[in-house]
Amino acid sequence: MKHRRCLFSVKNPYDTQSDDAFINAAKENFLYHYEHCKDYRKIADGLGISAQTFRTIDDIPQLPCLPTLLFKRHHLKSASALFKATSSGTSGNFSEIGFDIGGLLGALIMSCKIMHRRGLISLIPCHYIVMGYKPHRGNRTAVTKTAFGATLFAPAIRRRYILKYQNGAYSPDFEGIISALKKLDNSFFPVRFMGFPSYTFFLMKMLDERNIHIKLKKGSKIMLGGGWKQFYAEQVDKASFYQLAEKVFGVHDKDIVEFFGAVEHPILYCDCPNHHFHVPAYSRVVIRDADTLNPVPEGTVGLVNLITPMVSATPILSVMTDDLGVLHSGSQCGCGIQTPYLEIIGRVAPTEIKTCAAGAADILKTSQEL
Amino acid sequence: MILYRGELFDSAEQERILTEMEPYINCTLSEKTLPTAKVVAAIDQLGKEIAAGNYDGLLDSLQTDNPRRYKMLAATMLSRENLEFKLKTELCGLIPCNTVSQSGIVSSVQTKTMPLGVLFHIAAGNMDGLPAFSLAEGLLTGNVNILKLPQADNGISLEIISRLIAIEPALKDYIFVFDTPSTDLTAMQRMAKMADGICIWGGEAAVKAVRSLAPTGAKLIEWGHKLGFCYIAEASNLENIKSELAALAEHIAATRQLLCSSCQTIFLNTENEADLHKFCELFLPILEAAAAKHRSGNIGERAYMTLMRHTEYLEELIGQSHDTVSEYRGSSCRLLVRSDSELELSPMMCSVLVKRLPQKKIMPVLRRKKGLLQTAGLICAPEDRATFAELFARCGITRVTTAGNMSAYFNGEAHDGEYALRRYVRIVDIEL
Repeated sequence: MKHRRCLFSVKNPYDTQSDDAFINAAKENFLYHYEHCKDYRKIADGLGISAQTFRTIDDIPQLPCLPTLLFKRHHLKSASALFKATSSGTSGNFSEIGFDIGGLLGALIMSCKIMHRRGLISLIPCHYIVMGYKPHRGNRTAVTKTAFGATLFAPAIRRRYILKYQNGAYSPDFEGIISALKKLDNSFFPVRFMGFPSYTFFLMKMLDERNIHIKLKKGSKIMLGGGWKQFYAEQVDKASFYQLAEKVFGVHDKDIVEFFGAVEHPILYCDCPNHHFHVPAYSRVVIRDADTLNPVPEGTVGLVNLITPMVSATPILSVMTDDLGVLHSGSQCGCGIQTPYLEIIGRVAPTEIKTCAAGAADILKTSQEL
Repeated sequence: MILYRGELFDSAEQERILTEMEPYINCTLSEKTLPTAKVVAAIDQLGKEIAAGNYDGLLDSLQTDNPRRYKMLAATMLSRENLEFKLKTELCGLIPCNTVSQSGIVSSVQTKTMPLGVLFHIAAGNMDGLPAFSLAEGLLTGNVNILKLPQADNGISLEIISRLIAIEPALKDYIFVFDTPSTDLTAMQRMAKMADGICIWGGEAAVKAVRSLAPTGAKLIEWGHKLGFCYIAEASNLENIKSELAALAEHIAATRQLLCSSCQTIFLNTENEADLHKFCELFLPILEAAAAKHRSGNIGERAYMTLMRHTEYLEELIGQSHDTVSEYRGSSCRLLVRSDSELELSPMMCSVLVKRLPQKKIMPVLRRKKGLLQTAGLICAPEDRATFAELFARCGITRVTTAGNMSAYFNGEAHDGEYALRRYVRIVDIEL
């Protein structure tokens, strides 16, 4: 996987000159999956795609594009995995993705570079408030692992979790976090939040309603990741979120950082100071027409297809998410990063169409298994 | 939101309301009677208001391509004429109230038809307005109704039910609506404990879950999942059935094959695979036109359908799905020719299975799916219609329709071979 090493060695994580490195690594990754994953080979053959298809970066949309749903329904693998993570399964199903050592190493290098650029690596110890799951051996979700990983970029004095595992289930402990925050009011050290935007927003709302306003120390950060999960209806616009964070914690919007990612596309998308998700050098985004799946030009809404040659254990080279998004030209942002940025508009709807006929098929399947 | 005693409450008050409910329900059961005439009048009035356009805004917000069709259907189903016909059809034949019978053992017995008592409705979300309809059936039989809304409910049920209570305030003692998530098993169990009957609309998983929380002795009224298909009796006479095929295509595109009554598989009465290919060549443009006509204006919904079709296509490639002989692809529909004759679920979303099913194999093939059979859309010569309909009825099918009417509502129709109202009442014998 020398081309993968070459791609992840690119100095600037938002290098605009990485196309050659990317296409070489993608071709190498495609060949690996083609040779090691029987199902991937069948798909590529069925679609009439071979390694010869890819010559330039413009050929990237031709890669077999596998929907996340396929990973939820089938276990595809190209090599044994050193480490496995699952999607959170918001709608009841989840994918399990295996990672190889080379992929994990790439992930580490990528995270360091991106976090460093965003000013998140620090030697000053801090208190972590994790607005997500407390790691538990039964919890293999990527969102839990990522949230924990994000607490490693500045030394942790202590980590407090809002979602604790008790009596076989996770439940949120807002009161525990509020009382911990009150104590931190006098601390010399900054506080870093990491986790679901929904929980963070509810916490801030609760504090504001109780007229509790805590001026966190300089250097405090609010890091958001994992999406809004089942609280889609509660989504607030980002401006209201930033205003509330300033009011309740005294944290400016430049210190609020949002991450976007998926277990099926483990690239760290970190927002820029203007809160845009620029595409890192290790990833490419193709927006596809909602009806035909043909690539659409920048500025057009469509299905989000994410591509990365990071992993060789699972064929997640080109993955179609169930998100709808738009790709904007990097120059429209103004933060200095020139790669295009991805705006997520929402999810395909309905997320899960309930159908009585499908239920009948499930019964058939069960009776056949008996 | 929770609808309790005719008023809306925040979901946070669930605990308090559940605690108060049992004595309140007991009081209603012991002291009050819900006259059917009042229920019919209220539902009829609601139907008239829907027909007059009072709910057009709400209907337009539904994720359906044809809110006007919903409006017409709702107005028809809720009309006094339909309700009275339904009551007469479904409860006719039951022993009328206050009949006194003589027998050798008991000298004089009074027999009464009574409501079951309390019905707990766990409604499915695949059809807008279904929860309210399920509740209406409970009211028509005089029951107290606890309704758990599906997660996918978009507010239409609460709005309609609130209006029903406003029309007839006496109904407030008979209606309790909760938006409790299915994961809140404790609350579900408390609701189930109060019920004499539990009406569950949903799949095997939902039914299993409800069985586990139902108290011993509670009557489980399951409205499970079913499969529908279309049968073309004259495979070599396709040119003459173009209008029926257009109606079938319209049905497939309009329901997106999501309903129990939707066409999943098209069977041709032939042994010859070449007939299937001829059919697909003729039918694909017809289906394509219908799919284009019903194309959703919602990009998210279209994207979902595209994703589903793409996933199914890749599954075909890896051979983990089914043995497809060949595929006819339109821009927003697919016809999948299969070599077997089994009735099965299609990938849906205008992706239809096409199979051979010679007349002599109908019985063994369909019997393998007994318990899941529902609607057969029949395309055949008029003189053969009775023969095929009889054969399907003998196989276990509960609805035989024309191809275009597979999901149509008929006045007084049974549901999955049963009259719902009969399941919501009980017979009481009182020795005088």
